[in-house]
Amino acid sequence: MQGALGKLTSPAATDLNDALRRVAQGDRAALRAVYDAEASRMLGVAARLLRRRALAEEAVHDTFVQVWQKAAGFDPARGGARAWLYAILRNRALNILRGENRTDLVEDFEPMGLEAPEEDPEAAVLRLSDTGALKRCLERLEPVRRKAVLLAYVEGLSHGELAGRLGVPLGTMKSWIRRSLIALKECMA
Amino acid sequence: MSAGSPAPADRDRLAAEHVIGLLEGDERREAERLAETDPGFQSALAAWQARFAELDDTAAPIPASGALWSRIEAGLDAERTAPAPLIVPSPASAFTALWRSLSFWRTAGLAGAFATLLLGFGVGLLANRAAREPVVIAVLLTGQNQPAAVVNAFADGRAELTPLAGFQIPAGRALEVWAIPGPNQNPISVGVVSEARSLALDLARLPGIRPDHTIAISVEPPGGSPTGLPTGDVILTGRATTAL
Repeated sequence: MQGALGKLTSPAATDLNDALRRVAQGDRAALRAVYDAEASRMLGVAARLLRRRALAEEAVHDTFVQVWQKAAGFDPARGGARAWLYAILRNRALNILRGENRTDLVEDFEPMGLEAPEEDPEAAVLRLSDTGALKRCLERLEPVRRKAVLLAYVEGLSHGELAGRLGVPLGTMKSWIRRSLIALKECMA
Repeated sequence: MSAGSPAPADRDRLAAEHVIGLLEGDERREAERLAETDPGFQSALAAWQARFAELDDTAAPIPASGALWSRIEAGLDAERTAPAPLIVPSPASAFTALWRSLSFWRTAGLAGAFATLLLGFGVGLLANRAAREPVVIAVLLTGQNQPAAVVNAFADGRAELTPLAGFQIPAGRALEVWAIPGPNQNPISVGVVSEARSLALDLARLPGIRPDHTIAISVEPPGGSPTGLPTGDVILTGRATTAL
């Protein structure tokens, strides 16, 4: 069992740090190691934001090309390798979502723009660690505000889309988000 | 001095909303600028990324295909064969060596230094007028988008900062000029200025000012940042671009 467990657990952060260091030296095998370790999860994250596999693959593709170019700029002192990787991925996916493929995406929406999400964002909360601060603090938010924060982070909804989906004026939504983020920060401190 | 950096509370809100993906338009561009230039904003971003990171682990994995890896590899090859960006060679003249020399600065007064600098420029101008055409230019803007300085990089490898009317140095402080080669890269100091006069930039640690470098100016103690990274507010920033 121990062997299987070892394979299932994601590689330690130091492994990823080390891989990125080798990527920075032009080691393509190290980039492949990062791909093997993280690409499935990255596709999952991108697909929640972009809804379509082809776009998710585009985001992951672009992320790895950027990692190849920018690995030298990764500074472990400023944050973990995994956080760095997913920040690039999320940024790329959001650019695709908000930018060039915007009109393309809209065709997928139902007439009112109220396409049912693939899963309730609360399901993501249920999968968070019971011992972690994020779950505890998200659960302290009012349910509808928690839903807004989750729909933004997990599914990439904009302020306007959140207001439409949850049936409140835009200004109210902005204020909900602002206050929820302040509350989360205080709770997680 | 808050021209280039928002107040801490607003900066934190901007970082948080950038991380959860809610910024659009001007605010998103502002956040991307700060992410490249403002160390305080970078730490705020990192803190927010860490707070939400666990949510990424809740995404159901989708098997990554070998075909996707092949496309990525093709992308790497395409990137490698793409034309290299224009690189302005580093200066290597005795003049710039002198300019960089710390002992020179310790013994020479600033006035004398600037006289030397101007003389150097004069000689350069006579020697090679063509080399004085800037090939890369960055206009540095305040937080209110007012131009306050220009960085010109020349074909002969030198670069200089020229202050404009809006250029102000807080009393008892110096301004430090930084080049940031790309996103998530550390700023590299290219000069410290304590008077609103032209400054030759020190490109010893940089292969020249290139298009798409970000140039930023922060407020620092006299003599420059004690840490090698910006410690004060970033008051001016600009993106380098090719001069036509």
